[in-house]
Amino acid sequence: MSPDPSFQMVQSNIEAGFAPREAAAGPSTPRTALLKRRYLEAPLRVDVEYIRLLTAADRLAAGLPVLERRAHDHAYALQRLTPVIHPHDEIAANKTRFIRGAVPYANYAAGPFLKEMRRQEQDAQQRHAEQGQGGGIAGTRAQAEKEGCRVFSGKFLISEPDYDSLRESCEYWEDRCFMSAGEKIWKALLPEADFIEKGWAVGLYTAPHEPCPEGRLILDYETALAKGYRRIMAELDERLRSAPSGGGEFWRAAKRALEGSLAFVEHYAQEAERQAALEPDTGRRAKLQRMARTCRRVPAEPPRDFREAVQSFWFTYILGHLEGSHLGYSPGRLDQTLWPYYQNGGVSYQEAVELFEELFVKMTQIEYLASLSWQGLGHGNLYQNLILGGVDEQGRPADNELSKAILDAQIRMQMTQPTLSVWHDDALSEKFLLKSAECVKTGVGYPAYFNLKTYIRHELKASGLPIETVRKHAAIGGCTEPVLQGMSYGVVQAGFINHGKLLDLALNDGADPVTGERLFEPCQPKSYEDIRASYLAKMRAAVRSWQQYWNLAMRAHRDTVPLVFCSVFVRDCVGRGLCMDDGGALHNGTPTTLSSGLVNVANSLAAIKRLCCQDKACSLEELQAALAADWKGHEALRRRAIAAPKWGNDDDAADSIFLDLFAEYCRWVPGQDNYLGVPYDPSMLAISTPVPFGKVCAAFPDGRRAGEPLADGVTSPFPGTDTQGPTAVARSSGKVDHSLIRGGLLNLKFHPSALRGEKGARNLLAFVKTYFEKPGFQVQFNVVDSRMLRDAQARPEAYRDLVVRVAGFSAYWVEMSQALQDQVIWRTEHGL
Amino acid sequence: MSRGLVFDLQRYAVHDGPGIRTLVFLKGCPLRCAWCCNPESQKAEPESLRRHGAMETVGREMDAQDVLDEIARDRDFYRNSGGGATFSGGEPFFQPEFLRGLLEGCRSRGIHAAVETCGYASADIILALEPLVDLFFFDLKVLDKEDHLHWTGWDNGLILENFKSLAARCPNKLVPRLTVVPGISDCRQNLSGMAELLRGAGLRDIELLEYHPLGSDKWEALGRESLCRPDAALSGRALTEAARSLSQQGITCCVP
Repeated sequence: MSPDPSFQMVQSNIEAGFAPREAAAGPSTPRTALLKRRYLEAPLRVDVEYIRLLTAADRLAAGLPVLERRAHDHAYALQRLTPVIHPHDEIAANKTRFIRGAVPYANYAAGPFLKEMRRQEQDAQQRHAEQGQGGGIAGTRAQAEKEGCRVFSGKFLISEPDYDSLRESCEYWEDRCFMSAGEKIWKALLPEADFIEKGWAVGLYTAPHEPCPEGRLILDYETALAKGYRRIMAELDERLRSAPSGGGEFWRAAKRALEGSLAFVEHYAQEAERQAALEPDTGRRAKLQRMARTCRRVPAEPPRDFREAVQSFWFTYILGHLEGSHLGYSPGRLDQTLWPYYQNGGVSYQEAVELFEELFVKMTQIEYLASLSWQGLGHGNLYQNLILGGVDEQGRPADNELSKAILDAQIRMQMTQPTLSVWHDDALSEKFLLKSAECVKTGVGYPAYFNLKTYIRHELKASGLPIETVRKHAAIGGCTEPVLQGMSYGVVQAGFINHGKLLDLALNDGADPVTGERLFEPCQPKSYEDIRASYLAKMRAAVRSWQQYWNLAMRAHRDTVPLVFCSVFVRDCVGRGLCMDDGGALHNGTPTTLSSGLVNVANSLAAIKRLCCQDKACSLEELQAALAADWKGHEALRRRAIAAPKWGNDDDAADSIFLDLFAEYCRWVPGQDNYLGVPYDPSMLAISTPVPFGKVCAAFPDGRRAGEPLADGVTSPFPGTDTQGPTAVARSSGKVDHSLIRGGLLNLKFHPSALRGEKGARNLLAFVKTYFEKPGFQVQFNVVDSRMLRDAQARPEAYRDLVVRVAGFSAYWVEMSQALQDQVIWRTEHGL
Repeated sequence: MSRGLVFDLQRYAVHDGPGIRTLVFLKGCPLRCAWCCNPESQKAEPESLRRHGAMETVGREMDAQDVLDEIARDRDFYRNSGGGATFSGGEPFFQPEFLRGLLEGCRSRGIHAAVETCGYASADIILALEPLVDLFFFDLKVLDKEDHLHWTGWDNGLILENFKSLAARCPNKLVPRLTVVPGISDCRQNLSGMAELLRGAGLRDIELLEYHPLGSDKWEALGRESLCRPDAALSGRALTEAARSLSQQGITCCVP
């Protein structure tokens, strides 16, 4: 067996003279090392089986009400999916039949797939979306030639018969899918439909969302495990018996979904027995027999030990994942969910670590296939967030031995999924916090730290729920947005507003300087105040239209793809007899209005103020002329623009402008209710938006050139402009009232030498603690020598295993687009 | 309030003392070490430097009060990390009144204060300020008198005396440092002299710093010529070897 690739990487770094990241020991057993290598070497494949079965089912389901039809289709498919147990697996079940596989959800959005098949452009933003080329993606392309397969959606293998089958499914769904239903509704009912379409064309908004509308969903694993499916089904029967005649549609649908789920599980039990009967190796045979016994027990009945609990969790996780086209579907507080079962004994700490190692490979094996724009935006990441630590209902620190085991597993494996997070509280044990810092120092970019106190303040105000409930259920769904595990509405939009484009429009008379498209009535700004007012007016209009569009889209979601299985595990859908789409969840405040790029707007206004008002270095017209020329021929002015105050330096001249715009946004967003009648929550995130959003924007007054990425995150400074070090960044960012928004993100990049040894770990933790006292909300770290990243661009073959933090997620370097790689390199590196 | 010449302020410094620190570089130094990595810190007056094609002025006159305000910005980070301020240079004791103002300001604000010194200052000044200093980093170079004169411009008599008196007066807050410059400070004789000096002073620990050639562009930018060009490729190994040799002589080495 060859040594672990991460070990080789560290070796080659030392030889090349880069500052190495602190080395990790590698997978804890040869088996998990093999699982990881098998993943790294696998091509990406489309698995059409689920959608083929779902389509066949739907043809039979005409006439059923929508919830029952949806449950019928899902259950029909579950009963017929091929159970695949790969060699060396000890946890049963996968989302697809392949090591790296994606389900093409034609029932959500058939259009983009058909457009690719018809060689048409999928949407206006396809041109700006970029995908990576290397790693498994390169492997896919090579494999396609060898096998005579097609490459689909830029990076997935698909055989000719599967391609034909997918086309058939897509043709069936073309007029029935969520996307098509949505277009029929919003194009007819939304007065600003034309504005939305123009917004897509100029890059004011992210692409149509239907390929992946759900996210930030965390199921109620506590109940799923503790009750078991059979008891839940008995309760559904009970409710149905007392339901008024003609009522109880959700309960009937829920029961159908659970029946299908148990059939799916039973097939895994049978497959494990079949393989065991053929298995010559006695050790492996015993493991397969144990797997069969476990599948016969869970999730139908409550688990009796840790291994059964992991398997039970994983079945529910996969069954829910199969139902929807999720992005941000997360395991939540797994250290809490599994803790009672670990205490029952049965496995050692090392065995628990090994099981987590396998589980994390399985999570990383899930791929998603969507429109090219969304594949580019999400960068292939599933945003599965696992959050550790936090507190219990009474506010006592909740970190336990499993919190450390999960960190140990990811320190060893360095898989991109799940993204680890820590709910930070001062009372968490030092041992756990030091272990978390050890993980950060490997350079994988997680865990990200989240300030629990800030979120609690937000949620108490937003939802009015008791503090005990918020403490117990607080988790992160997806990249950086907090939700209440097992009780929040999980059909949550992922669309963004581009603040940079709003600035373009404010500076250019309401017309887009790049495409010439007019979105607003002309109003030529004459002063700094005019520009600010114009920007805010446009921001308000863009927010309102976007919210209305989403409310209609969510209605279409309810009419076409409501989540039935998932709703069973969201409190209190069963009690209320309503699915999440009908308001069954206890907490419906999760839909947010998302945006990114505000830092560049603040920096630009600060530069206008300095250049045009204070220094009188130029007039507003001269500045506009320089921007129109992309600063060409105006280099001296550009230098002054760059020297103007910038966000992230603890300088009130820039910071006060950011705070003003941020507050205006947060005041405006909740003025309209979401689809379920709860005020919209403001949020700012990034995913990969800084790159495509920047690509469509003209030059800015802050010195940024046309097409360059925007600042990432919410409060991360624009690369290279934070010259005062990370404490100044934290002090700027700490001025923001993060309790106003749901979510938020601060990216920092440290040179490995700044965090060396235990002293480095302690300094890092002190930094986090101090930032959270300000109080900040979230912070995450890339720990890497930029010279190494440049070397990795030049010699990708030597860095197959390299993981870096992008935004609310980490990614394999070689599978990132070059634009995104450049952006990570470009970030200011602290602490040389 | 006292005023002085500062050439740089660095926040989130983690290699010069405990915790998260702000590093204040005072301009002006009596020594002229041939390998100096901050040659722009040597002259006790502002000077011009050509960087990225543009002329820059290095060194600005500041009120101690203003420096202290800058330092105090990160006091919460110091509190949580056990950090503080480190005054480096140049040679901080070369501006004694300014340094006194800074140290008194830190003391009254409850901020931990470290001073990194080459030790070349009048004993009166060092001992007068000693009570205000929480930690001394004492940069030792070469022990041979003639060599010291050759490489730094002065012999080391005064330096060694100051070192010994600090070791006698406050051994717990004295951290000897040695930059391992290949071919200059890493010879066997120098290292065994160091071990002997430390043992004689009742000390057991030393911090070793790796020589890095960051200063070489700066010499050029200043329009001056570096007096020596140690082979930077050797510095990693030189450090390891020096650490091994000193450990064998009973000295505990640490690389901050």
